[in-house]
Amino acid sequence: MNALPAPTKRHWVRHETLLLLMLFAETTYFFYFARNFGTADNISNIVRHSAEMGLLALAMMPVILTGGIDLSVGSLMGLCAVIFGVLTHDWHWTTLQAVAATLLAGLFAGGFNAALIAFLRLPPLIVTLGTFSLYRGLAEATTQGTKIYRSFDPDFLNLGDQHFFALPIQAWIFALGALFFWVLVHRTTLGRSFRAIGFSPEGTLYAGIPVERRTAMPYVLAGLTAAIAALLFTARLHQARADAGTGYELAAITAVVLGGTSIFGGIGSVHGTLFGIAAIAVLNNGIARVPGVLKAGVGGELASMLTGALLLIALAAPILTRFITRGRATQT
Amino acid sequence: MKRSQFIPALLALPFTLLMSCEKSSAPVGADHPKAAKKLTIAFLPKSKGNSYFIACEKGAREAVQELGAELLFDGPTNTDPAKQNEIVENWMTLGVDVIAVACENREGIAGPLKRAQEKGIKIVTFDSDTTPDARSFFVNQATPQGIGEALMDEAARLCAEEGEFAIITATLTAANMNEWRKFIEARLAERYPKMKLIDTKPCDDQKDKAQAETTNLISANPNLKCIMAICSPAVPGAAEAVKQAGKAGIVKVVGLGLPSENKAYLKDGVTQSVILWRVADLGYLTIQAAYAVGTGALEVGSKSIHAGKLGEIQIDGTSIILGKPFVFTKDNVDQFDF
Repeated sequence: MNALPAPTKRHWVRHETLLLLMLFAETTYFFYFARNFGTADNISNIVRHSAEMGLLALAMMPVILTGGIDLSVGSLMGLCAVIFGVLTHDWHWTTLQAVAATLLAGLFAGGFNAALIAFLRLPPLIVTLGTFSLYRGLAEATTQGTKIYRSFDPDFLNLGDQHFFALPIQAWIFALGALFFWVLVHRTTLGRSFRAIGFSPEGTLYAGIPVERRTAMPYVLAGLTAAIAALLFTARLHQARADAGTGYELAAITAVVLGGTSIFGGIGSVHGTLFGIAAIAVLNNGIARVPGVLKAGVGGELASMLTGALLLIALAAPILTRFITRGRATQT
Repeated sequence: MKRSQFIPALLALPFTLLMSCEKSSAPVGADHPKAAKKLTIAFLPKSKGNSYFIACEKGAREAVQELGAELLFDGPTNTDPAKQNEIVENWMTLGVDVIAVACENREGIAGPLKRAQEKGIKIVTFDSDTTPDARSFFVNQATPQGIGEALMDEAARLCAEEGEFAIITATLTAANMNEWRKFIEARLAERYPKMKLIDTKPCDDQKDKAQAETTNLISANPNLKCIMAICSPAVPGAAEAVKQAGKAGIVKVVGLGLPSENKAYLKDGVTQSVILWRVADLGYLTIQAAYAVGTGALEVGSKSIHAGKLGEIQIDGTSIILGKPFVFTKDNVDQFDF
């Protein structure tokens, strides 16, 4: 590990710090200008509405850290939601059995991606582009694109609606996920090997690390996380449909990259990803509450526009500042 | 290195959250609708871009102007039940007085709507209902009986109450269409003894298949006088078949669909009548009902509502019925843009 360079150290302002300042500015702005933004109910809304996307982003982070990408997680959410619906409704399994089977299905689907990427050495972008279509197609074929599974066990639906110690249940699940991925990436040898693979797969191999198995692991975890997200989504909406999670993979990638993880791998932090998730979640919720936007009813459109702008600013800012400081250095 | 950048970051996060929490104890801002004594009605279509709901919005805006209420109009860009739930949950925390919603997910949206009711927000549904316990009133655009009878009456008028006709439906199992067919056949038996329903064909809600089925019906039944298309893709599909068979005006086409989708065929004289309700009036009536519920003027048990320019509207239980469907013809179709 000592042999690896630490390029983030050279920036006079770290990406995470910059992002945190942006998050702070954003929150302050909404706090003063957006209608009822800071109420306890609304904060609970922010968490509930972003938990699924946030979980996917957390799982996406180690994938991108290894220099890979997983475009299939949104589609896999749809497939897992449908599997859960079929098992509970058509096969009459108990909720507990169906939950277990859905999680297993997520693991398998993630494992399928992992096998193609790590062992057949196919490019992650192409593999997961394939399973992006494959998983969504399976979900749509199962439901003929029209069938919607409704009415679930009330205890299961509580996952989506109820609070536990003053916070929505999703907040606890998300916090557990964040802790898990933070420890995995920052405090284990596994996590260090993800980073090493992202820097240099060959070098990592020569260092005696089983690169194939270590590359596979983040995809399997992403599959499992997609299944968890699908269950939360189903519980929140009280229905399972094939189009669950459409576009979530892109939102997750946006949060990870906004959070400072390099799309080429090797650089990044889970807390950066957390700030990225928070910045997007707060923006989605807050912008629709700014009086002018509220009146015009264009919150959704503005949110996606501003998320894009935020991403570009966050990516360009450190490079621009480096240009400026370097320019100053040569002048003196 | 990791630790040095992580710890300040972690310390700052709760501070950010704490900052936003403070607001909850602060008094509500001056822009709160209650302070201005102006009723805020939030209006949620299934999707914003759909011309049907844009027409609804037009009527809704007209009504809020007359009533002096504030209108919030927002919805998913595409029909997306997840987004609908999120919008309702966000409106709940905004301090709106009434939410009017066309539900994409009947059961799924009931949870958020019930929680809104617990917070004292009144709920009115329109176009598509939720479960009855999650709203005060449902503004119903038309009853199955109204639709069935309007279709049959219009077909009979076009055929001078005599001759053979056929129905194109979506599927033979679609519950709403079977309900309409029941009333079509009842009306036929009751009023038009000289007319004969020779066939009912499904088109799976596809324009192409409706066209193929109509072509078959025309060639197999030389005495066919009218095609009645009761799902919206079937109306232009049937018209195209009649046009290509060179039977425009000889085989009449009547159907249930959007006037904009059938405008060209209406103008060409291939389709004679398209039946639907006045969509803008649906939005107008929804706001009138929402306002009356919000001010307490309308309560469960009321038998009618005075709805501005629409006059006195009857209430059946908890459903407010817009009235008889409207017939769009080549003469009036230009006045509508949905």
